[in-house]
Amino acid sequence: MSHPLTILWAAPLAGAAVCAFLGARARYAALAFSALFAGLAGALVLTLLANPALSVVNELGPVWAYGISYRLSADSLSIGLIALTAFLNLICVAASWELDVPAAYWACFLALASALTGVFLARDLFLFYVFWEATLVPMFFIIGLWGSSNRLHAAVKFFLFTFAGSVFMLLALLALVSAHHRATGVWTWDLAALDASALGAAAPLVFWGLVLGFAVKIPMIPLHTWLPDAHTEAPAAGSVMLAGVMLKMGVYGLLRIALPLFPELSFSALPILGGLAAFSTIYGALCAMAQTDLKRMIAYSSIAHLGFCLLGVLSRTSQGLVGGTLQLVNHGLTTGALFLMVGFLYERTHKRGLSDFGDLASRAPYLAFFFGFSTLASIGLPGLNGFVGEFMALSGALSVLPILAFAGVLGVTLAAAYALPAFQAVFWAPAGPGSVSAQVADLNLRERAVLWTLTGLMLWIGLAPMPWLAFFEPALRGLVR
Amino acid sequence: MTPAQVPWAAWLLFASPVTAILLGFFVLRRKPEWTHLPILASCAIVTASAFALAARVYTGHSFDLNLFRFAEAGTWAIDFGLRVDGPGVAVLAMVAFVGSLIHLYAAGYMKGDPAFGRFFLIFHLFFLAMIGLLTANNFVQLYLFWELVGVCSYLLVGHYHQKESARKAALKAFMTNRVGDFGLLLALLLIVLQFKITHFHLLYLKVASGAAFELLPLIGLLLVWAACAKSAQFPLYFWLPDAMEGPTPTSALMHAATMVTAGVFLLVRAWPLLAVVPGLPDLIAWIGAFTALSAAIIAGTRKDLKRILAYSTVSHLGLMMLALGLGQVGVALFHLIVHGFFKAALFLCAGNIAHALHQPTANVDDVGGLQKSMRLTYLSFLLAACSLAGLFPFGGFFSKDAVLDAAWHRGGGLAAMGMLVAAGSAFYIFRMLFLAFYGCRPEQKRAPHAHEAEPILGVPVLFLALGAAAAGLLKGPIERFVTAGFRGLPSGLPGLEVVLNLPGEPLLPHLNMTVALLGTLMAALGAFAAWRLTMSDPGFDWRWRGGPVEALFDSDFGYKKLVDGFAAAVSRSAGFVGRVLDKGGVDGLVEGTTGFVRAAGGAIARSAQGRINDYLWWMLAGTAILVVRVLR
Repeated sequence: MSHPLTILWAAPLAGAAVCAFLGARARYAALAFSALFAGLAGALVLTLLANPALSVVNELGPVWAYGISYRLSADSLSIGLIALTAFLNLICVAASWELDVPAAYWACFLALASALTGVFLARDLFLFYVFWEATLVPMFFIIGLWGSSNRLHAAVKFFLFTFAGSVFMLLALLALVSAHHRATGVWTWDLAALDASALGAAAPLVFWGLVLGFAVKIPMIPLHTWLPDAHTEAPAAGSVMLAGVMLKMGVYGLLRIALPLFPELSFSALPILGGLAAFSTIYGALCAMAQTDLKRMIAYSSIAHLGFCLLGVLSRTSQGLVGGTLQLVNHGLTTGALFLMVGFLYERTHKRGLSDFGDLASRAPYLAFFFGFSTLASIGLPGLNGFVGEFMALSGALSVLPILAFAGVLGVTLAAAYALPAFQAVFWAPAGPGSVSAQVADLNLRERAVLWTLTGLMLWIGLAPMPWLAFFEPALRGLVR
Repeated sequence: MTPAQVPWAAWLLFASPVTAILLGFFVLRRKPEWTHLPILASCAIVTASAFALAARVYTGHSFDLNLFRFAEAGTWAIDFGLRVDGPGVAVLAMVAFVGSLIHLYAAGYMKGDPAFGRFFLIFHLFFLAMIGLLTANNFVQLYLFWELVGVCSYLLVGHYHQKESARKAALKAFMTNRVGDFGLLLALLLIVLQFKITHFHLLYLKVASGAAFELLPLIGLLLVWAACAKSAQFPLYFWLPDAMEGPTPTSALMHAATMVTAGVFLLVRAWPLLAVVPGLPDLIAWIGAFTALSAAIIAGTRKDLKRILAYSTVSHLGLMMLALGLGQVGVALFHLIVHGFFKAALFLCAGNIAHALHQPTANVDDVGGLQKSMRLTYLSFLLAACSLAGLFPFGGFFSKDAVLDAAWHRGGGLAAMGMLVAAGSAFYIFRMLFLAFYGCRPEQKRAPHAHEAEPILGVPVLFLALGAAAAGLLKGPIERFVTAGFRGLPSGLPGLEVVLNLPGEPLLPHLNMTVALLGTLMAALGAFAAWRLTMSDPGFDWRWRGGPVEALFDSDFGYKKLVDGFAAAVSRSAGFVGRVLDKGGVDGLVEGTTGFVRAAGGAIARSAQGRINDYLWWMLAGTAILVVRVLR
């Protein structure tokens, strides 16, 4: 295993290729390769835990023209997010097991996992950009081919939005690299070698170009409107990957590229970026309150949750950075679980409106339990995962710009105002005349196993977050102001 | 002290409820009708443990230690631990004892309910949450259990979720508490920012050091706000009367032991911080007095038996706040504990009446003359009512006298309001007693099949009533607990062996003859008025209804409308943001752009008909041009 990181991103890609050739039996290959990928990611996590001195794993391949190089590296931030990717990918395969889908479905998920892993590993900015764009393709097909009624519109909107964002990112990267070349005469895309001082007066422009690219992905208001459509139309597993990992790419980009390259600029942009993040927490909650479609509601709640991540990360305090990063994982687990359950409902009834159901607490008690549990985690109930991340992120924000934390706490308060009425409408209220609740069978063993895993992790992080915090902390230490 | 030296009883407080709940959830899934068995056993263990710990604290062995690090990042850290001290353990013993009796009652009351298993699991989790709250040693840990208490109450109030009123009440309870939690969460964050620690005792020491902390007034105000929501004080009291939509054992547990007392307890824990903020104690006292008086007045006009008791709880919590605001921590705790006994007994009596009538709830029209058919319930109610009214020598006399004494020493409006509350309490509870158990007025439906409850419903109530009657005896022990709690110091934390001279007077006042006589006189006056308006003029309660006066009382003097208006405004603004601003505005702009591109594409080349390919090519071309521009 002389190239552990290459194997890590290549394994799911190989899986995708195998799946594409297998036809009807592709799901077994998908499961096998997802398990292999999860195993590799798990092994990397264990390696890191067993040997804290080995906090960064590097791999350097060939250098091509214009200084573009094959440069991979993994610190605990990368490994943590890759482990999240691998875990959610496995969950998605397990959750889609009984779907009647062609081989390409499974191939797309594995290809997506591979591209995401590449994003988290790449330390050469060109390579980063290639992986970044590569994530779009499988997700575009997942939404566009296996989504619900309005899937094509959503897929195009998703693609155009994020692609437009990445164009600005690419321009910023090009400007950065060429400025470095002008200053030193050396072509390089190596993140560690580049520095922003060569940019001179153009630095703010480049910084905002990068931020724009990341902000679309997060998504930051007002660049968020692709998200409700994409989440709503995507198949359940697609929504899980989209919310669980793809949104995190934006925050990861900030942490990995924008903050280290522009430490001062990013901090002076705090009132604007942090203000938008804090505003997102309230705006997302208010929008979620107005939704009548379960998936749309959860999608808007994602906007609010990512606002907390951003608040923490942008505060550049230890607790904010670590809490914000933990919140990335938390959101992946909680929102992932919620999207999966809406997906289970949709598989059974082909409906997902709040008023299409009712009385599910007595018809599907397991579903009610898991949905209620995840809802509580998502609204930040202490003892479950969401609280730890939110509390630390807000604590960080409070120490740099108190008004942001005030707004964030208001966002926490409002979260209950959409989540609980929705829970009541679906699970408690009597089934209305047009209700399809009668078609809802309770969760089967496979579905329960998937959800036990997710809720178990929520409880673990909620009650004893220390291992998780300690895992991420070393990678973020350098960003503390 | 090390974790190994923590007494077994302290571990059992948590281990036995957790075990019972896990057993019920996983093992007894197939036999939900057995769910209560491990839970009742756990109640017995918890009660025994609580008393064992109380005995240790009584003999001077309180402790406070950190057990594990909850969260850490850089220099920022929060530890979780256990604090078993006087105030905590005094309330804990009451909660364990009263709560266990209510569990026993619930086993009988909920028998045959289709969701019996679920009910018992949440009920016990509720109990566990309160135990955790009382033994937390820092604010974050307290907040964890505080929220768990809130969630459990939400689920229990919404137990009969087929009923719309239950769903609404549950949501109202949770949302109102959430509004209060806004204060608590912000206060926690500010405490972390200002002090870098959340541990109670370390905070006490920091504040007592005399240094100036500029954020302390804001923190104090936010804590009071949070307590107003949880302990149902004005302006956030309105969820509690609706919360009686839950099954009666829930109401009893919520009102007596596990929910509403949490707010008062929070302020007791935070007292050393609050006391040094000028004006804040007075604010607490005035909030308490105002709430106590208004709620007592409204309680005197209600028809639904449980609703009368709910407003009564609001009123009595107000008295606790009054005592606390006057610096009398011990008095507040004393009244909290006595109140736990008589309120639990009264709620369970109301439950027995409803049970006898085969109704979920009963109002004054359904009852009357139950004295003969329900002797045991009548006796229990009478004992608890006398205690609530503050008649000598029942328990309530001593605790209420202590509150009145504190108010009397302050004088002025607070003393007058305290006395009026004494009269009002006696009025509403005796009105309830007379209407339910005596006579049978022509307006009331005679309840022909009313019968005494079976022993599992009767006996716990009698025990609680006897406790309520005799609770005056607790005065001495509670005084000792309170002084032990604040002066006997935690071990195990280095540098803490310093005696804290806390603000306020932890000792309970001696009986002041003037106040005692005046208070008794007021109570007698209230009881007499109740007799006059229900017994000597039996039709009165039905004559005055239907007019604008009733509307005034029904709407809590118009306040309910204000609250509903606020909720509607939030909901409307969410509708505006979600449907108009986001869908129409932001997204409309985006979708408009697509239309624009489409139109432009159509104009430039007929082939561009909004297909993805075309967009991609346009974008690639544009990007290429830009790339070239940047690189040159």
